[in-house]
Amino acid sequence: MIRDEDILNVDEPELTASERLYFPILVGMRTTFRHIFKKKITVQYPEVQRTLRVENYRGVHRLNRDADGRVACVACFMCETACPAHCIHIVAGESPWEDREKYPAQFDIDELRCIYCGMCEEACPVDAIELTPEYDLVGRTREEMIFDKEKLLEVFDRTNGVKPRKNPKITGYVATGRRNGSEPPRPGAATS
Amino acid sequence: MPRESRGGSPCHGAGTDRSADMPKINIDNEAIECRPGVPVLQAALEAGRDVPHYCYHPGLSIVASCRLCLMEMQLPHPKTGEMDWAPKLFPSCQTPVKDGMVVRFDSEKVRENQRECMEYFLLNHPLDCPVCDQAGECHLQDYSFKFGHSESRMVDQKLKNPKKDIGPRTLLYQDRCVMCSRCVRFADEVSGTHELCIVNRGSRAEIDVFPGLPLDNALQGNVVDICPVGSLLDKDFLFKQRVWFLKATESICPGCSTGCAIRVDHHREVVQRLKPRYNPGVNDWWMCDEGRFGFKYVHDPRRIGRPILRRGGEVERPNWDDIPEIVTYRFEQAVERHGVDKVAAVLSPMMACEEAWLLAKFIRSVAAEATLVNGFVPVDGDDQLFPAGCATDEAKFTIRREKCPNRRGVEMIVSALGGNACAFDEFVERAGKGDFAAVWIVGGYPKPWVPKAMEKAVGEFRFSVVQDMFPNALTEVASLVLPTCAWVEREGCFVNHAGRIQPFERAIEPREGAKRDGQYLFDIAGHSGLYTGERVREMMAAEIPAFAEIAEAPAVPVHQH
Ligand code: SF4
Ligand code: SF4
Ligand code: SF4
Ligand code: FES
Repeated sequence: MIRDEDILNVDEPELTASERLYFPILVGMRTTFRHIFKKKITVQYPEVQRTLRVENYRGVHRLNRDADGRVACVACFMCETACPAHCIHIVAGESPWEDREKYPAQFDIDELRCIYCGMCEEACPVDAIELTPEYDLVGRTREEMIFDKEKLLEVFDRTNGVKPRKNPKITGYVATGRRNGSEPPRPGAATS
Repeated sequence: MPRESRGGSPCHGAGTDRSADMPKINIDNEAIECRPGVPVLQAALEAGRDVPHYCYHPGLSIVASCRLCLMEMQLPHPKTGEMDWAPKLFPSCQTPVKDGMVVRFDSEKVRENQRECMEYFLLNHPLDCPVCDQAGECHLQDYSFKFGHSESRMVDQKLKNPKKDIGPRTLLYQDRCVMCSRCVRFADEVSGTHELCIVNRGSRAEIDVFPGLPLDNALQGNVVDICPVGSLLDKDFLFKQRVWFLKATESICPGCSTGCAIRVDHHREVVQRLKPRYNPGVNDWWMCDEGRFGFKYVHDPRRIGRPILRRGGEVERPNWDDIPEIVTYRFEQAVERHGVDKVAAVLSPMMACEEAWLLAKFIRSVAAEATLVNGFVPVDGDDQLFPAGCATDEAKFTIRREKCPNRRGVEMIVSALGGNACAFDEFVERAGKGDFAAVWIVGGYPKPWVPKAMEKAVGEFRFSVVQDMFPNALTEVASLVLPTCAWVEREGCFVNHAGRIQPFERAIEPREGAKRDGQYLFDIAGHSGLYTGERVREMMAAEIPAFAEIAEAPAVPVHQH
């Protein structure tokens, strides 16, 4: 309920003589004229595109592949935990590969909800999720903008040339052949 | 078992005031009163200190093998006889408290031991927390952070132990094990089934099962709980969710009349797992597998989701708001037409006491001579005692044959309210003879339950309200079907086999279209506002004094289990 005593009426101030002659507009135009003669920094997008600093530009995500072309993510949920926008949804499963324990059976990022802060990239222990220099993201529906695992891997295939994966070494945990020596390294070990 | 548990049972005294004979000890210059006979470690934990330990568990025998809990103690000097700090460290889990004892944990020597022990525990550990389900509730993580080193000095290659499938429900990740032997002692002393053992020695030691004898007993899920690290993991919960996303709600298991205190871990309105809570004298630290994995029906899509009203041949979907009026009107009509003694309400032992009371009150308000029926009690086999094959008075855990949580609670209410009452079998028999014209039948059992004789009797009812979870012969024909929520969606209290009144909280929202039983019964009984167990218990206590006091499980110190 709005009470009468809560209402504050503000009257319009009287215009001065110069304001009535529209003089203050000229003051504004001064800035416009100054810029006409400066060096131009706008580009004619999309014909012309800016060069980005690919290392740290925060565009669309990608899910990296390991050396064998498999998704590098180990489904640890660190990114989902770190994400302030709660836009990552992972369903973990037992990995179909001998040498790895856990993998993302499903991995969805809602690119519309994402604020492109890069926290997920920061949190990932195996550098599996990265933001890419791709920014021209369009879609016709909201569903289309929820990127699933396949779509995120495609982004990797598309952008790997521009921004190659760092392939981090995580731990020094390597099989010693206690039972079967030829077993490949554990998840997270070496180049995953 | 030859080895005796000296841990003493309960963490927090039995409630009696025995401060006169409570020994006083001095821990880190602070005088602490403790229960007689408990180990110093237990006393320190109860006094709120976080002393690292792995092998000690208050429900198991003491082996003092992990050496993480060592402390300094004052002993008389052998020459002078003066009290002085002894040069060696003592395991606090194996040293019972004694009046006047002086010990300390806050010393460089003790901290050095903790640091070195932690380094040894992590020597061969794969450090695979990102893919380990225990991460977030792991004592290895907590203790490394608090008492260990921040980096590994190990330069040699680590021993790698493959994971082992040790039973139908449990996996063993041997490389994460700290060899505390809790799991082995559990299988020896509590379940009494002896499936687990330690093979090899030293850094090659590992936990294993005997060939052809997997870990498969009715209590095996507990080894996952007591394993302080991520070595034993539940296949059912494996990779499902990270534990820090789970929300915990305190509850009571509805699986049998033991009434184990449990914790419901849920995420986004889906129950992910159940864990036992410490509840001395009821389930202590344990729960059975049947209860632990028996919650799957909660998310069964076949559950009845919304009310169904049948008028003649027509089926309607009534609005929840109209239901109080409909039932009141129809019952009053039945009383008018068929007489005041032709009404009955079957109170299911799956109901909370509050719900049963609300329903009983309602029925008696429309028909003062209505018959209250103690509902169908599902029974399965015999009580199972553990350790397997022990005598009744030695049992550490009992799975009861009565597969419902609240038979006693319903009986208490029916007898306290007096008037006409009968047992379920008698009700079925009389119903078959056409003794009842209007009935309210509550089910809510996870398994099919309607007896054949009951199915036959349904034709005799002129008006029936059936409150159930799954479609069955009763819900097919009932005049009004009301969905029953699973216990995780409700709140109230259950009375266990021993008469303990134990409250449980609601964990998740009822599925869309449904409403909490308590709430609609509250509305139907003519109250307004929000149903809470506490509110109804207050009303009940005015008539049944027993409900004035409820038994809640005690809180436990951090890192207790
Ligand atoms: S960039 Fe930020 S908001 Fe977007 S998915 Fe990553 S953590 Fe979430
Ligand atoms: S943090 Fe990295 S490894 Fe972990 S779930 Fe996210 S993308 Fe996968
Ligand atoms: S498996 Fe777990 S409970 Fe068993 S000895 Fe190893 S760490 Fe202890
Ligand atoms: S030695 Fe005391 S807890 Fe292990």
